[in-house]
Amino acid sequence: MSPNRILWLVVKLIAALWMAAAGYAIFFVAPDESTMHAIQRIFYIHVSSAWTAGVAFFLVAVGGVLYLIKRDPRYDWAGLSAAETGFVFTTVVLVTGPIWAKPIWGIWWTWDPRLTSTFVLWLMYAAYLLLGTLVDDKQRRSVLRSVYGIFAFINVPLVFMTIRWWRGQHPSPVIAGAQPGSGLDPTMKAVLFLTWGATLCLFAVLMRSRYRLEVIRGETEELRQLAEDSAVAPASNRPFVSAVTPTGFAGRG
Amino acid sequence: MASNSQSASDARVPSASSTSFTSSSPGSLPLLTGLWAVFAKEVRTELRTRELLVTTAVFALTIVFMFSFSFDPTSEESRRIGPGLLWIAFLFAGTLMLEPAFLREQSNDTLAALRLAPIAPTAILLGKMLANFLFLSITEALLVPVFAVFYNVSVASVLPGIILVCLLGTLGIVIPGTIFSAVTAHARMRELLLPLLLLPIFTPILIAATEATAALLSDPPEWPAMALRLLAGADIIFLTAAVFLFDSLLEE
Amino acid sequence: MKNFNSLLAAYMVFWAIVFIFQFTIARRQARAEAELEKLRQQFGK
Repeated sequence: MSPNRILWLVVKLIAALWMAAAGYAIFFVAPDESTMHAIQRIFYIHVSSAWTAGVAFFLVAVGGVLYLIKRDPRYDWAGLSAAETGFVFTTVVLVTGPIWAKPIWGIWWTWDPRLTSTFVLWLMYAAYLLLGTLVDDKQRRSVLRSVYGIFAFINVPLVFMTIRWWRGQHPSPVIAGAQPGSGLDPTMKAVLFLTWGATLCLFAVLMRSRYRLEVIRGETEELRQLAEDSAVAPASNRPFVSAVTPTGFAGRG
Repeated sequence: MASNSQSASDARVPSASSTSFTSSSPGSLPLLTGLWAVFAKEVRTELRTRELLVTTAVFALTIVFMFSFSFDPTSEESRRIGPGLLWIAFLFAGTLMLEPAFLREQSNDTLAALRLAPIAPTAILLGKMLANFLFLSITEALLVPVFAVFYNVSVASVLPGIILVCLLGTLGIVIPGTIFSAVTAHARMRELLLPLLLLPIFTPILIAATEATAALLSDPPEWPAMALRLLAGADIIFLTAAVFLFDSLLEE
Repeated sequence: MKNFNSLLAAYMVFWAIVFIFQFTIARRQARAEAELEKLRQQFGK
């Protein structure tokens, strides 16, 4: 076993233990909220998933910038892995949100700016993930992905600014930008940060396993390219006609 | 295909490696001259056929017309829904108009020729952006009066405000639009991919422009300072990012 | 605890999504590895 693998095994173990501790804290340590009761505990998963997704999309943009500067495909792979994992966490946010909203607001979904902007985020990164499948050229794909990752990320604050100005019924921020006096209970805050840490750790594990997949795909693509090149080379020795006749067409005709 | 053209350009101009295409290279034209040359070329090409402008204008007109079936266009309803549908029409028209912006170059591989010319990539993209900005603005200038007539909204009294909103909003559409039109030039299902990429990016523009237009058209009109500031901010942020990204986009 | 079921559902959903993601990665990984192996054998000859 290489030291790298041992390191990741340790990280995985830490992630599992940390997640277990966070789960315990969410259910048994966090104080009961006075109006929402148990359902308010979704808050810890919901918010830490959202923050983790934010970190992920930041990494996507960083990967994009590094790729455009250094032109090393590994940065693009890292960006892609972060995007996909961040997308998964955004999905968690979008699913846990309505579960929380239904008993409290009485509706599953409301076109409140923050819900809407999370959904926009989800759409942007869905497009990011799709575009990889639609561009065949390796380098062009990486450039397009990097540029889109950067643009999507700088768009996030613009989208979120609409909360402050055209706000709806979503609870106002309780950590950053909170009004004095409306802060979070210290125990709740501790549980939130504990859960966030655990989620980040889980994110690292997931992103790393996604990254390994991309490394293998990169190798496969390279080998396939080599195979195609070597398959084309002997073909050039054949008579010219046979090389250009669209045999698939002739067979069908 | 482009890699071929790149190697061809390398063969013809030995010094024209990727580094000499950056704006700082001594051989290239000053930024504004190059920008103007590309812009003039775009406008000249368009004026020869006017097909892009005419098609886009008719398309936008069709959208605005079709919307009238989806709700009752009384003046009260129009004031409420009108600004939103106007901007949706602009966004769709803009997205569709931006698609051919680089495909035109592809058919004759003129982009390779452009790259061969001593013009910085930044100048090429800015020139194209400016041309797209002009074309979309013309479309909007045609559409706003039609919209006012169709939906019985009075725009004459707030015209300066409407023009300002349109200019800022159009800039916000054209900057990301030109960039992604350039980088998706070789994608499969490009016609679907480009709107898919662009429309979510346009969200802040759509919200702010709609809010601004709605405020201007409300009775009595309000000055949408907040929304205008957001639009201007978005334009500046997009443009800054664009300028930083430009150099790496066209070199391959 | 009021609404406890919703909370439990949300918690389960979180883990379900994470495991589905991990599962799809594993499946794609297996497929990519198989293809890589095939290509390697092609080249070994």
